[in-house]
Amino acid sequence: MNHYLIGFAINSLFRRGAKSFFTLFIFTALIFLLSSILFISNSIKTELFITLKSLPQITVQKIQAGRHKNIELKRVDELLKLHGVQSAVPRVWGYYYFEKAGVNFSVVGIDSFDKQYKKSFERVVQNVDFDKLQNSMVVGVGVNEALRQNYYKEYFNFIKPDGELKKVKIAGVFKSETSLESNDIILMPKNIAYEIFGMSPDKATDIVLSVANPREIPTISKKIKELYPDTRVITNSDLRVSYQNIFDYKSGLFLALFVVSVFTFFMIVYDKASGLSSEEKREIGILKALGWKIDDVLKAKFYEAFVVSFISFTAGIILALLFVYTLQAPVLKDIFIGYSRLKPVFELPFILDFQTLFLLFFLTIPLYIAAIIIPSWRVASMSADEVMR
Amino acid sequence: MIECKNLTKTFKNMVALNGVNLICKEGEVIVLKGASGSGKSTLLSLIAGLAKPSSGQVIIDNKLISKMPDNFVAMFRREHIGFIFQKYNLIPTLSVFDNIIMPQIPSKPDTKSLKKRVDELLNMFSIAKKKDEIVKNLSGGEQQRVAISRALLNDPNIIIADEPTANLDSKLSLEFIEIIKKLKSDKRTIIIATHDPLFFELDFVDRLIEMKDGEL
Repeated sequence: MNHYLIGFAINSLFRRGAKSFFTLFIFTALIFLLSSILFISNSIKTELFITLKSLPQITVQKIQAGRHKNIELKRVDELLKLHGVQSAVPRVWGYYYFEKAGVNFSVVGIDSFDKQYKKSFERVVQNVDFDKLQNSMVVGVGVNEALRQNYYKEYFNFIKPDGELKKVKIAGVFKSETSLESNDIILMPKNIAYEIFGMSPDKATDIVLSVANPREIPTISKKIKELYPDTRVITNSDLRVSYQNIFDYKSGLFLALFVVSVFTFFMIVYDKASGLSSEEKREIGILKALGWKIDDVLKAKFYEAFVVSFISFTAGIILALLFVYTLQAPVLKDIFIGYSRLKPVFELPFILDFQTLFLLFFLTIPLYIAAIIIPSWRVASMSADEVMR
Repeated sequence: MIECKNLTKTFKNMVALNGVNLICKEGEVIVLKGASGSGKSTLLSLIAGLAKPSSGQVIIDNKLISKMPDNFVAMFRREHIGFIFQKYNLIPTLSVFDNIIMPQIPSKPDTKSLKKRVDELLNMFSIAKKKDEIVKNLSGGEQQRVAISRALLNDPNIIIADEPTANLDSKLSLEFIEIIKKLKSDKRTIIIATHDPLFFELDFVDRLIEMKDGEL
């Protein structure tokens, strides 16, 4: 390692202070933007995939006048009689608008351990016996945060449809691997959920089914539709498509941002690659006249470009990590979750995908270095006399 | 020994050198005189390997410089030739020290011996106090002394100077002549291109050659 050559390269950057700083700033900003977009997108994608994995195989909803209505519990037995249906669980769930915080909570009533919730609520179920809990609930992190901010630390007063209050104790807070899914959720015994929603106890919000052979899902769905023409049968693949559509739409916006950033980067690269300033050319001419070989000149230029691009890359990534995971990506995150602003805030899970980092590294650093090296090589290949003239 | 054989250089349609033949023996001091555009600078560039001739040969110490690949010429120049440019060709935003060490940077110099050599040169040319100054803040005479120090860093046996006194006053020009005289006494081969009459009657100059329209 020739430290004099490295010193000369670094010195050159300082000598062109304003220009070097501007390049460093723009490069860092672009890496920051690109990596922020990729980090947010990765986090939400991970959430989405985990959510998709835990979706019920079949959900049966009653429809009246094109709207979702509560379904009769007696239909559970009829559904269980269908060939291939392994289980049929009535669900009680809905949204509770917490006016003070201006957010919606998703309230889910469960009898005991429901298979459908296994993925998300495993940890909770291990610690809390819902059958024994009376007038208690377990809340997601976001709900807990919203309640605490409004001084509800031990219990919460729900306002029932008849205007009366229902005091429910907060038995615990749970965190699942997907905060998008669990963040706004309140888990409580079904009887309390019925009370809060003012629902008739012989009805459920919907019924979720599991089947022995996933290949039979379309056939069973068809049979359900024939048995109960007033229902809507939603399969997990329908839900997957709908979730994916939302994700694709949102990621389309991100893609647009991504493309703009990449385009700007290429503009810089093109600008760099299209030529050197007369001062830089003259300097290469002097170096050659003093006995520097072409590769000595290129080494110095390589060190210059590497220092700028590596510092920018590292700074951009660190800033993006802080922005996305510490500050929770203000503004950018809202583009993605804008449709659910009324839900409590959720935290982007920390997903450091090394593939993404490598992709960014190889998309930017070698390109930038090449953009510096190629015009320098063109000039260094000319005779010193010609360059200095 | 430097030998130029039938050297021709053309730029587009303009003939800068036309069949120049020149032999310069070791330790000889040659002054090339002539008006601007007579081909003096072009001849010096070809001898130093800064450019390739359109035809003809440059042979230095039995090495055919004019046909050598670019990188070999660069290494040869670094080891054997010290070039003093008319406009000094210093990097104005670097310090005196950083400018002087430039010819040695690619050869991974030993820090101790490099510093010793630079100090010797700085003392020789009375600019030791300016070591850490940025070159653009120096006077013309000081800048030229930096350029000479840089040319001598690798202790070359050939010194080539292109219009060395063009930007100097008479006092500094005389100082420069003293330096050349000293280098001559060190048995170095020196070729100076100038139209400064001060050089035409110097006792240590071995030959005065006039150039006109690209010919000797």
